[in-house]
Amino acid sequence: MSNKTYLCIQRSQRQASGESKCEPPSPAQMEQMYARFNAWQEKFKHNIVDMGGKLGPGAVVTGDGTTMDGPFAESKEVVGGFMIVSAENLEAALQVARESPGVAMPGCSVEVREISTP
Amino acid sequence: MSESETHLFRHEYGRLVAILSRQVGVQHIGRIEDAVQSALMKAVQDWGRNGQPEQPAAWLYRVAHNELIGEMRKSRRQAQLLEQFATDLAPNVQDELHQVLPGEMRDDLLRMLFVACDEVLPAESQLVFALKTLCGFNVPEIAQRLFMSEAAVYKRLARARDKLKAQPVRIDQLDAEHCRPRLANVLKTIYVLFTEGHLSSHADAAIRCELCDEAIRLATVLVEHPVGQVSECFALLALMHLHRARLSARLDGGGGLLLLEDQDRSRWNQKQIGLGLSYLSQSAQGDQFTRYHAEAAIAAEHCMAPSFDQTRWHKIVEYYDLLEHAAPSPIHALNRAVAVAEWQGPQAALAALEAFPTPQWLLDSYLWSAVMADLHRRAGHSKSAKRFHQQALKMAPTDAIRALLQQRLKTALRSTRQDST
Repeated sequence: MSNKTYLCIQRSQRQASGESKCEPPSPAQMEQMYARFNAWQEKFKHNIVDMGGKLGPGAVVTGDGTTMDGPFAESKEVVGGFMIVSAENLEAALQVARESPGVAMPGCSVEVREISTP
Repeated sequence: MSESETHLFRHEYGRLVAILSRQVGVQHIGRIEDAVQSALMKAVQDWGRNGQPEQPAAWLYRVAHNELIGEMRKSRRQAQLLEQFATDLAPNVQDELHQVLPGEMRDDLLRMLFVACDEVLPAESQLVFALKTLCGFNVPEIAQRLFMSEAAVYKRLARARDKLKAQPVRIDQLDAEHCRPRLANVLKTIYVLFTEGHLSSHADAAIRCELCDEAIRLATVLVEHPVGQVSECFALLALMHLHRARLSARLDGGGGLLLLEDQDRSRWNQKQIGLGLSYLSQSAQGDQFTRYHAEAAIAAEHCMAPSFDQTRWHKIVEYYDLLEHAAPSPIHALNRAVAVAEWQGPQAALAALEAFPTPQWLLDSYLWSAVMADLHRRAGHSKSAKRFHQQALKMAPTDAIRALLQQRLKTALRSTRQDST
């Protein structure tokens, strides 16, 4: 079984200040989110190698030795989280990401990249 | 998933709001709700990743409690208050955790119910506040369930919060003596909650059942406490179970309402009817006879009748007389007339209604016109029947009710034709 490993990067749109005034999810909606997440995790338990996690603030080191704060405030998208998936091919890995509850949120996307180790 | 798991989040919401309100004071209700909301959100993220903890209620309590204390610490205005509570709270987290275990928190939920039914809150705010804090519905969900605009729900909630801020209740001081005078209000709120689910014409059956089940849940908590162990609470619980047992049979496949006559009685929940009857016998202690007793007795008659035709209509008429005595309302006279029509015929029903001074608001309601249309049709007065029917259609408050009336007209015409052949 020669499964490949993929890195999934979750991105979301940066919310303009004041835009976050929308109603927070109700307990009933959170129940549904939790149930959906569990169902998805169960379905792909053989594919999900590492649930990964959220990415907090950090910094960027560049070749000329300078360090900059990140993520960059001016960029419209924020890399919010990552996970590692094992799948036969890219299409199978994309399916895991496609069905993940995280991608269903408005303005969210998941990038899937193969990790190839020589 | 079991029923309790399905509603874990919503029910924990109510319980946590209740506990924290007792601890820091209900005047902080806004901040308390934010903390509980955030704890539930953290649970969604954390439990999905790490699995559900063995004691989810305790986990949620710890996170919500920390969140609330953190928020209060941040606010300088609350500094003094915090000092007072931090010493109370911090060392007691372990003790409180024990209280969070299932069963132990019911008193808090109950206390919150009595807070929601404080007469300092405007009557129309009480139900909205109870739905928000005790049942864990958010504003759009309440608006949807009570057919109100979201703006109206916000307004009512804001009024409740303002009142509670201005006149904070020390929840831990709400003992049995303080609760008793509010009991009637508490029962009324539960009754209204149930009625919204049972009688509304909302197309979504799930939503309707949910309101009924929430009302039953709150009343069940109530009768487990000495304050609630009085005959009218048992009567209310009996009445709700007896109606709820028939609820799913009241809806046709398309979510429309079915008349009692057309319902499939085998779909009535016999177990729940049994439960209702046992509460009804518990309610028969003492010399109190309330509207809940009368309504439960009527519901019981329907539940026990083997068929529509074999219903003991004379008993039902008798209970309507008692209901009219316990809680006079022209609506009862109208309902009584429907039972009289089944018992002694449409002429007797029309005569009873003629003898009754009908207020203008009832004359203007679609209910009055619909009943009159039916009685006149059955009495063979086709002209009057038609007139009342047109009027009922015109007055119908929602499309769903209009559809039911139109359906009724079609069926009625068909049966009239069959009668005459």
